[in-house]
This record gives sequence, C-alpha cells and structure tokens, in this order.
Amino acid sequence: MKKQSKLALALLIGFPLVMLTSCGGDEPVEKMEEEIETSVNEEEGNKTYYQIPSPDEMLGFIKESGLEFNGELLNPIENADKYTIPNRQALNFGIYSADLAYTASFEEFDKTIKYFGTTQKLADQIGISSAFDEALLEKVQGSLDNVDSLVAVTNDSYFSVVDYLEQNEQGDKLGIIAVAGWIETVYIVANSTDYNKDKAAVERLADQKLTLENLQDYLAKYTDNADVVELLTVLTGLEEAFASLEEEDSGSGISLKKKDDGKMVLGGGSSIKITEEQFNAIKNKVSEIRNNIINTEA
Amino acid sequence: MKKHFNKIILATAIVLAPIFSFGQYCNHFHSSYCYASENEMYKPNGQSKSALFSKGQTSELSIIVYKGQDYRISLCMDENLGSQVEFKLYETVKKKVEKVIETKSMENEMKKCATCSGSGEADGEMCYDCEGEGNVETGNEVEVVSKETKLVQERVKELLYDNSADNYATEIEFSVESTRRLTIEVSIPGSGGGGTGSKTKLIKSGEMGCVGILVEHMTTPITGFYGTGF
Repeated sequence: MKKQSKLALALLIGFPLVMLTSCGGDEPVEKMEEEIETSVNEEEGNKTYYQIPSPDEMLGFIKESGLEFNGELLNPIENADKYTIPNRQALNFGIYSADLAYTASFEEFDKTIKYFGTTQKLADQIGISSAFDEALLEKVQGSLDNVDSLVAVTNDSYFSVVDYLEQNEQGDKLGIIAVAGWIETVYIVANSTDYNKDKAAVERLADQKLTLENLQDYLAKYTDNADVVELLTVLTGLEEAFASLEEEDSGSGISLKKKDDGKMVLGGGSSIKITEEQFNAIKNKVSEIRNNIINTEA
Repeated sequence: MKKHFNKIILATAIVLAPIFSFGQYCNHFHSSYCYASENEMYKPNGQSKSALFSKGQTSELSIIVYKGQDYRISLCMDENLGSQVEFKLYETVKKKVEKVIETKSMENEMKKCATCSGSGEADGEMCYDCEGEGNVETGNEVEVVSKETKLVQERVKELLYDNSADNYATEIEFSVESTRRLTIEVSIPGSGGGGTGSKTKLIKSGEMGCVGILVEHMTTPITGFYGTGF
C-alpha cells in the first residue's frame, strides 16, 4: 500500500478514535467536570439572568389591539449602507430586526422580504452571518402566503441571532441589539397610539417601565464594554421619563390563584398609571433616542 | 478510482469527525425537549432559556409578563438531574427602603494642646503649637464609626408558586391581570435520582445536565358573549 494511502487510512481510523477517546473514559470526563464546576461556582454571585422580551410579543399585541400599520415609522432600508461603525451597525441591526417583526405582523410581505435582506446584510457586517443562512431565506420566501408562518420564521431569525451570540459569549453585542430592538418597538407603539383612544396600547407602553429595568440590569453585566456604557447613559434619559409614572395599589396583595373556572390568574398588587403628559414625554424621549440611532450623519 | 481513493478517504474522515465531537452546549434544549402546549394559540416567547446546571445549583431567570396575556411556563431537564427539580415563581419589585449605612475609618487621634490648654491662644496670640486649633495629634490613629441613613433601592421577592407543593409539576399556565416582573427560580437537588417522563439528550456527566425553561404566550381569550348581539 502506498504511503499516502496508509496516511489517509490512518486519518480515517485514528481521527474519530481520538474524538471518542475524548468523549468516553473516566479520566477525561472528570477533568471536564472540574473545569465546568469551577466556572459554575464563579457564576454563583451572579445567579439572576435578566431576559428581554423579543419585538414580536409587543408588535403582535399592537396588531391585535387594532392599531394600523404605518410604513413611515420604519427605518428606511437605504440607510443600512451608511452605517459603517460596528456599534452603529449592531444598533441598527436591532432596529431593523424590530422593523422586520413589524412588517411580518402586519402581513406587509414585500416589505418583509426587503427588511429580511437588510438584516441579513447587516448581520454579515457585524459578524453574525452564521445565524442567517439560505435555508432561512427560503423559509421566509416560502411563508409569504401565511402570516402565522411568516411571523414564526422571522421570529426564528431573531432567536437564531440570540442563540448565536449567547453560544459565542457575545452577550454585550446581544444586549446592544436587543435594546435597540426594544427602543424601535416602543417608538413604533408610541407613535401609533392615540392616548385618548388606544387604552390597551397606552397601558402596554407604561408597562415598559419594568422592561426597561430588566434591560438595564442585563446591560449592567457588560460595563467593561464602552458601547454598552454609552447605551446605559442614553437609557437614563428614558428612565427619568418612566420614573415619574406612579404605581397604583389595587388594595389586595399580589396572588397567583385558581379561579372558579379552574384557571390560574396572576392578579392583585399594583399597576402602573400614566397621564397624557407623561405619555407624550416618553414618546418624545424614545423618538429622540431612536432618531439618533438611525441618524446616518452621526 | 484508485487515483481518487485517497481523496475519498480523507473526505470521509473530515465528514465523520464532527459526529464524534463532544457537544457541550445546552442551547435549543428548551425548544427541542420541553413539551410545547397543545393549544396552537400559544406562541414561543423570546424569554425562554436553556442552561447547563450542576446538581445542588440554583439559578434565576427574570422575565416580564404582560397584562392581557396568558403564559405557559414549562420546565425540562436531563434525566440525570432527577425528577424533583424545584421550580418557584416570585414577583420581584424594586422598593425604596431606608438603610443605615455604617462606615468605619481610621483618623488621627487628637488631644488638648498643652501649651494653650485647648484655647488656641497663648499670651493673647495664636498658639503656634496647635495653630490656633486647640488640639494636637497624638501620633496614634483611632477607628471612627459614622452612620448615615440613606434611601436605597432593594429587590424584594414575593413567592407566588412553589412546585414542591404541587407534586413537582413541571409546567404552569396563568392569565396576567397586571404586568409583572417575575423571577423563575430553578433548583437542582443535590443528590441524583432516576427520572421518567421527560425527553432526554446525551448525558454529559453524572453531576451536570441541561435545564430548559420554555415560555409561551397568547392573548387572554375573551370568554362569554361580547357586544349587544342584534
């Protein structure tokens, strides 16, 4: 047998054997346990993980509330090529992801394809193109006749980005994207809502006070990243606008109880109240922050 | 054929190798192994999460649940973690509380100036020994404790649900009447035990395993007659 054939055969047999050895056997597994235990113990001090609602939950809600689609609120696709600094690319990837969820929720199929392409392009620029692939694009194109499938597929694209960034320990970049997506979502809701007519949407906007706190707690883990620190500073302006919202106590403590029909209900406790003046203050502040993010001249 | 034999073998080795690689991540565990609701109105919520846990570990997930929505939270885990995984729900609020903050510092010990008997003046002029202060340093240091009452924000947790009182149920569904920040606390028992009923994946080690929290949501259905009819 020629030398090259022997080498090739050795690789074919030996390579998988090396992999199996690293999986099986007591000693290598114990070593890995030690390594993982150490890392788990280090995490003990930071045992709460703060989650951020994805854009689709809020945007699906506004459609069900009867609010109308307004294409003027989208960040124009043409702006995508003008973001050249990595931080602005990441922020606007979040913005466009929210816009994608918005167009999908409202069955704006042509826009959905265009915004999907835009997020894909920005994903490539910020180094997360692995989260997007041809199969995903085909799924989006194949879902154009079914709004539920379209929403599900666009959600999949968002979740795949989240997974990718978590797997690659880029929680700081994930935080920046998620916060920008949240800002765009709040901007869309605030600018689609009439304070005097859309009571449910106004209440949902007020409830973002709690979401903002979770966002800030999430970002607080990454203050070694200057872009995250800058974003936290920007958010303090919005925090001040939300801080004035008062919580009205229902008179009964919070409870999770089974009602007569057997359904569990989380009720009681306090709820956040918002005046028209406060609503407008939040709307103006979030619009200011959002417009600064999408500004191509910055 | 003989010419391509080596290339075929090399290509096969490259393709097969990843199959034998050791998977270390729990990502997607909740979407693959937690049982989703049979109610098609429920949609996966972006706040779902999976993580690697070791036995005896407790970890928390903070999520937001909105008024007017129904939520379903279900738990799944690797079999080696046992079937008695504890799952608690808390509401977490930030409350302003008064706290007395004590600070300790070392300061120079002072004593009365012997030259001016603490008056700061000697012969009608400023006492130079103490520079008019009336006190001089002894050369020793003493601990000084100062207390300050401050208004600080603290997280206060209120227990809403404990699955250990519900036969270690691994799912819960509820409607939300008022938007809340909830904390989902998951605790893995310290000693192992067999588990049945849940899907599993490859066991990584006896002391570790994946835990998934699947959160699903839908708009709370409006029941009963709506509107005035005719």
